Amino acid sequence: MADALKETPHREDLPRMGSAGILRDGRYMAPPADKDGKTWVRTTAQIQASPLDCYELWRNYAAVPLWQEQIKEVRLKGKNSHWVMQTRNGKTIEWDEELMQDEPGKRMAWRTVDGDSYNAGEVIFEQAPGDRGTIVTVLQEFGQGRLKTLADSLLNRNPKQAVIENVRHFKAFMETGEIPRTEGQPHGPRGVSGTIKAEAYGEHIDTPPGLERKAS
Amino acid sequence: MKALCWMGKSKVETLNVADPTLLNPHDAILKITRTAICGSDLHLFDGFIPTMESGDILGHEFMGVVEEVGKEVTNLKRGDRVVIPFTISCGRCFFCRQQMWSACDNTNPNAHLMEAMYGYSGSALFGYSHMMGGYAGGQAQYVRVPFANVGALKIESDLPDEKVLFLSDIFPTGYMAAENANIHEGDTVAIWGCGPVGQFAIASAFMRGAARVIAIDRFPERLDMARSLGAITVDYTQEDVSVLTALKDLTGGMGPDCAIDAVGLESHFNDMQHIYDKVKTALFLETDRPGVLRQAIMAVRKGGTLSIPGVYGGLLDKVPFGAAFGKGIQMRMGQTHMHKYMKPLLERIEKGQIDPTFLISHRITLDEAPKMYEIWRDKKEKVSKIVIDPWAAKAA
Repeated sequence: MADALKETPHREDLPRMGSAGILRDGRYMAPPADKDGKTWVRTTAQIQASPLDCYELWRNYAAVPLWQEQIKEVRLKGKNSHWVMQTRNGKTIEWDEELMQDEPGKRMAWRTVDGDSYNAGEVIFEQAPGDRGTIVTVLQEFGQGRLKTLADSLLNRNPKQAVIENVRHFKAFMETGEIPRTEGQPHGPRGVSGTIKAEAYGEHIDTPPGLERKAS
Repeated sequence: MKALCWMGKSKVETLNVADPTLLNPHDAILKITRTAICGSDLHLFDGFIPTMESGDILGHEFMGVVEEVGKEVTNLKRGDRVVIPFTISCGRCFFCRQQMWSACDNTNPNAHLMEAMYGYSGSALFGYSHMMGGYAGGQAQYVRVPFANVGALKIESDLPDEKVLFLSDIFPTGYMAAENANIHEGDTVAIWGCGPVGQFAIASAFMRGAARVIAIDRFPERLDMARSLGAITVDYTQEDVSVLTALKDLTGGMGPDCAIDAVGLESHFNDMQHIYDKVKTALFLETDRPGVLRQAIMAVRKGGTLSIPGVYGGLLDKVPFGAAFGKGIQMRMGQTHMHKYMKPLLERIEKGQIDPTFLISHRITLDEAPKMYEIWRDKKEKVSKIVIDPWAAKAA
C-alpha cells in the first residue's frame, strides 16, 4: 500500500481537507458522513494504466472538459486555475482553485479560493495490488448542506453523483480513449413516461465529449 | 429509416426514425441485412425487464454491411460484411483482457443503474433496457455499433447471411451453456427449454462429448427438432409425467451429470407453483418465475453442474438452496462472453459441422414484426425462429 492512504486526516495543514483515508493501520475507514453543512463523496476506480499516466491526464487542465461533466473550460490564472461550468439550467458558474498538493504519479489536492463553488478534494493514484493497474481514489468535500444538495439533484446535478460519474468517465477515457454515450442516437417518440424515465436515469446530463470534442 | 420500437408492455411498432450517426471514435454504422427476434426480446415485450423507455429500438441479433467507420476503427472498412455480438465490449479493461467480455467496465453509460440493482455493472447490450446501456438495437435498417473495432466478426467467405446470423447471440450462448455445464466425455446432460438457445445447447453438448442429452419442453415441434439433433425428449405436460422421475428413470436413479436451464425467468408449469409465481410477480413480491431453476437444482446429480443461459432479472423466491448445498453442485451462469466464441464457432460452420439455418421457421419484413412478436410470445404457427429482412417490402 502506498503511504498516501495511511496518512491521518488533517496531518498536513489542510484545514478543509481530509485524506482519502480508506485505510489506517490496516483498518478500513468509512467515508466521512454528511453533516455540519458539508457534503462528502469518496469514490474509486481501478484503471489499466500506470499511476503516472493517470496523474498526467488528471493534471492536464486543458483536457478536463473532455472527461468531466459540464466543465466548459479550465485555464491557468497565475498560480491557480480558473474553472467554468455550464449547468443544466443554462447558468454559467465559475471559480478559482488552488492546487495545494502536487506529487507527480501519486497525488493531488485542491481547494476553491474564490467564486461560485465551494469545494475541496484530493485524488490519489496508487499501484493496484497484484500489478493490476492503478487504483484512483477521490475524496471530495462540498461546502453545502442537504437542502442545497437536494435542490442540485432536482434542478441540475447531485454533486456526489457528478464526482462518481466523472471518475467513471476518467477510467473509460483513460482505458479506451472515449466515453460511452447514447445521446444523439435515434429512437421513437418517448412520450411522457419515457421522458420522465430518461430524467430519472440521469440521461439528461450531457456525457463529456471524450476525443470527439469539437473545437469551440 | 424504419425501426421496431418498444412502446410499452406488449406493444411494439415499426416506425420511421432518424438514421444513426457516428458518435464516438470507435463507432461504425452498419446497414443491416438480416436481424432476428430473440427469446429474450419477449422478456422486454412482456414488461419483465425494468428501465425500458417508450421509443427504444429493439433487437440484439443482427448482421450487415459496414457503411461508415469512426476515425479510430482501422480494422474495418466500408463494404465489409460483419456479424455483431449482442454484448458491447471495449477490449481494454481488466475484464475484456481476461476474456470476460460481457463483464466489460467501459461500455454502459448508465452503469449506475445496474450498480444499484446488481452491485456492479456488466457490459452494455444492444436494445435491452437503459439499465443495460440504453443503446438502440438492430431490428432496424441501420444501427450504430460502438467499439466496432473490437466486436465485429468479419465474414470473408460467401456463406449466406442466414448461416452466420446466429453467431450474434444464440449459437455462442448455447455453446457457452454447454461449456459452463462442465461436460465430460460420456456425461448425460439434461436441458430445460428447446427454444433456439436450447437447440444450440443440445448440438453443443454433443460437440463437447455428451453421451446422452435429455431435452425437456412442451411444444411438439420443438421436441421434434430436439430429437432430430439426437436428444431424448420429455414432454413435461403429458399426463403423469414428472420431470424429476423421468430424469431418474433415464439415468439409473443417479440424475444427469449436467443440467442446463435454457428457459429463465418466465418459466411455465401446469401446477400450483405456476399460480404461486404468477401471483407473487403480479404483486411485485418477486420479479422472476424460477420454476425451471428450482427443478434443475433438484434434478442434477450429486456434485453435478448446473449451467444457466436463461435470463434472470431480479429477485427469486423459494429457490431450494439447501438442495444445491446438500448435493454439492456447481452453478455457472451469465451473459455470454460473445467475443471469445464467435470466431471458433464460425469455423465450425465453415467446416460444415453445423448448419444453424435448421432453426428458422419464419422469414418476415420489419412491418410484419409487431404481429410476429405476438405469435412468438404465444408460440403459434409452430414458430421456432424469426428472421427479419429489414429491407424487404413484403413477405419473402
